[in-house]
Amino acid sequence: MEVTESKKPEEIVKKKRTIIDSDIHNYTSLDEIKKYLPRVYREQIDLWGWRLPGSLYLNGGTNVGQRADSIPPDGGFPGSDLDFMRMQYLDPSHVEYGILTGSDYSCQATPDIDYAAALSSAINDYTLEQWVNKDHRLKGSIIIPKQDPRLSVQEIHRVGSHPDMVQVIVASGAEKPYGNRFYHPIYEACVEHNLPFTIHVLMEGVGINPPTTGAGYVSYYPEYRATRPQVMAAHLASLIYEGVFEKFPTLQVVLQEAGVFWMAPYLWKMDEDWKSLRFQTPWVKKKPSEYFRSNIKVSSQPLEKTPNPEMFRQMMKAVYADETLLYCSDYPHWDFDSPVMAFPKLEDELWERIFYQNAAELYGLPARKDPTGGID
Amino acid sequence: MTSFFVGKASEIPEGEKKIVVANGRSIGVYNIEGQFFAIRNTCPHQGAALCTGITTAFINSSGPGNFVHEREGEIVRCPWHQWEFDIKTGHMIVDPKKRTKSYDVTVERFDVSVEESEIYVHL
Repeated sequence: MEVTESKKPEEIVKKKRTIIDSDIHNYTSLDEIKKYLPRVYREQIDLWGWRLPGSLYLNGGTNVGQRADSIPPDGGFPGSDLDFMRMQYLDPSHVEYGILTGSDYSCQATPDIDYAAALSSAINDYTLEQWVNKDHRLKGSIIIPKQDPRLSVQEIHRVGSHPDMVQVIVASGAEKPYGNRFYHPIYEACVEHNLPFTIHVLMEGVGINPPTTGAGYVSYYPEYRATRPQVMAAHLASLIYEGVFEKFPTLQVVLQEAGVFWMAPYLWKMDEDWKSLRFQTPWVKKKPSEYFRSNIKVSSQPLEKTPNPEMFRQMMKAVYADETLLYCSDYPHWDFDSPVMAFPKLEDELWERIFYQNAAELYGLPARKDPTGGID
Repeated sequence: MTSFFVGKASEIPEGEKKIVVANGRSIGVYNIEGQFFAIRNTCPHQGAALCTGITTAFINSSGPGNFVHEREGEIVRCPWHQWEFDIKTGHMIVDPKKRTKSYDVTVERFDVSVEESEIYVHL
């Protein structure tokens, strides 16, 4: 029997474009990073434990917030096994580049700032050695002891010029809102190393950080999730009104995991107030929404669902998604946003901005190696 | 074009203003360093009597904590939402597309002292 070599149209292999995922949580387990700590802290931990504050709330999924299907074959913690991450997520999802955001930010809530600095360095060294150096697709985030700007700057200088460390990361829970001049030396270092400054929800109300909301501590996990934008909103207003983007015009700040669409009416409100109250903060030279467009990026996950597609389109426009939005999966967390299912169908150009170009420009990542994309 | 008598120059010293009704329109006439300017007494935002707001300077800044007063007496802040307008042109400072109408003002002097000169606004 003769076999025909020509393929029928439906058999033609469809090329699929690769993506950049700006939020992948590799497991930066304290036990893993312990060997990267100086002797004094290793001995202290043996004698008195980790003395780090933990979460106040429940989480979703299993294993404290993880996708139930993300446990590696060896039974380890989700996000701890690079091979399994490749197999379960990076390869099938056509991830060209993934930004690692780690899993433990508790060092940013301890009052012992030298310990926080040692833990930060250990996490960064572990991430470089065990993750970034093992898969060219993966890029690291520099965790810093943000309680102390001087030590934070030291850490940024120590690892900030490594080409695969692509941003500085902090928890949203912070002693002062991030526009405060207390933090400005950190921004100077970020600008010097061309590193975005990313604020990731976490550690609100924990350790030395202020309560989960300005109204006090909320009680439950879904309630905490609902109020995360309050803290992020305070950071955003603070960055604008403290004049951070006039002082550091090239600084890029990423608002990660506090939601997306709430920012639209928030920007409208700030713009309207600026018309009325400009003279009280005359160093704010432009409408707040203009700083948002030039200096802020927003992570997509967890993306809100709108009652209808038309409203979704309008909200995307209202947050300038084509300029500001970064696709984030949050893998392997339970509230993972699938690269194929989380968004309704997007116009091709907008999809390309969100799933590749915005992140490529932000992190200085190259174009796709294969311009036609990977094979579906 | 009709001319409307506002008053004697002595009624509006430097840095002061007078609000008059001309042909049914409320108009604010300002003396800025000896020159007279007139704008409609209506804010384009929500219709407040613009010229009843405070007359002040444009506050500029080189950075947080720094305040520089420029263009003294050339700015009116609406009494309601504090939008700032340029008295010389009627344009809103931060969004010049928004404006209140401005009018020509002349000072007529017929063999009298400066103080007795007559101010007219032209509608």
